[in-house]
Amino acid sequence: MSDKHTTHFGYREVDTDEKAGLVAGVFDSVAARYDLMNDLMSGGVHRLWKRFTIELSAVRKGHAVLDIAGGTGDLAVQFADLVGPEGRVVLADINESMLRVGRDKLIDTGRLGPIEFVQADAQHLPFPDDSFDCISIAFGLRNVTDKDLALRSMLRVLKPGGRLLVLEFSKPRSPLLSRLYDAYSFNVLPGIGRIVANDGESYRYLAESIRMHPDQDTLREMLEDAGFIQCEYYDLTGGIVALHRGIKP
Amino acid sequence: MPVTVDPTLQTAALAALEATLNRALTLAPRAGAELAPFDGQVFALHCRAPQIDVFLHPRDGHIRLTGIHEGPVTTSIHGSAADFSALANASDPAAALINGNIELEGDSAPLIDLQKVLASLEIDWEAPLVASLGDVAGHQLAQSLRQAFAWSRQAGSSLRRQLAEYIHEEARLSPPGLEVEDFFSEVRELGQRVDRLQSRSQRLRRQLDKLRN
Repeated sequence: MSDKHTTHFGYREVDTDEKAGLVAGVFDSVAARYDLMNDLMSGGVHRLWKRFTIELSAVRKGHAVLDIAGGTGDLAVQFADLVGPEGRVVLADINESMLRVGRDKLIDTGRLGPIEFVQADAQHLPFPDDSFDCISIAFGLRNVTDKDLALRSMLRVLKPGGRLLVLEFSKPRSPLLSRLYDAYSFNVLPGIGRIVANDGESYRYLAESIRMHPDQDTLREMLEDAGFIQCEYYDLTGGIVALHRGIKP
Repeated sequence: MPVTVDPTLQTAALAALEATLNRALTLAPRAGAELAPFDGQVFALHCRAPQIDVFLHPRDGHIRLTGIHEGPVTTSIHGSAADFSALANASDPAAALINGNIELEGDSAPLIDLQKVLASLEIDWEAPLVASLGDVAGHQLAQSLRQAFAWSRQAGSSLRRQLAEYIHEEARLSPPGLEVEDFFSEVRELGQRVDRLQSRSQRLRRQLDKLRN
């Protein structure tokens, strides 16, 4: 980045202080239809990406898990099943609307269980050092203003040997898939957003923010720079999404 | 990259298989109780060609399937798809298991127990498969699964017989049952003779004491 005091919000260059408010606006707008939109946009495949994340988490009974940008609780519910009553699952999200929708959903489905809800900024996690065996952040990192700061904050609250899982949109490997994906993202996606969530602009931001997000190898380097070891990633669905994993030494 | 197939495809296949399996288990009334002893155990199936790993995690009357597991495994089976296929089509599957290329690691007893439980549940595969795939395909697949489980029951008893023969005749790790029974009967006979000899010697000792007095 050439200017320390600006960052990107989709394709727009905005003041660093301004980005969090703009992202909050997007999620306030889409929170109520978030799950439905995820299913429509991905054809339900986001459930498979999350399922694979759970598999790679190696979470077991008694573990403490932090799900950052946990939104409507898709991952947190599955983590709660794995850790059992002796474990701990914290669902954290910076956005109050998303947390409220998530909590209502889990109450309605009787899955609230041992899940704690915390409104928190990923850059300044309000937890003591060495608190969690596993941290996940699914489709959240690209919305964070200072990603390096957030990764260092995650490293701090992880226990030594604990693992970070970053599930995020990435760069498709095949040029053909890339072109199809671009056409879909910029033409179809905002249309679906306009019809279902009555908000085409937020979904245009989604498409733009994905293009501005670091690719697979850059994100792996960022994890290493933050202090994680054994960093690796898995391309999912041809690289449309990547799952990165790093271990706290 | 440790995973060669796109993980999305493998995860989708496992999710579909898991959903069908658990829907079928839900229809088996004894499934919960029968699977309870396996809670917390992990069974691994490692296929070398194509390279696919499947881990079975029985829990709360259901079986979770995953493609990745980092942690202790109760029992692992290694082989290629051709090995598994040869095993499935063998006229004597137990012999194929012993003489074939399939490798088994860990404690074999829980895996055999799990296979016995799944076979004994007589799972009705038809309803969940027809619901997912339609009448024709669902019925055909259910038929195949019924045959597979019938095979697994037959394979289970054949395996026990083959293992017994192998242990007795080939490896000579333990004597055959009849020899053991003969041996125990001789031991019993010897014990009775010792008892009789002991009481006879006591009687003689008493008579000798009387004569001395």
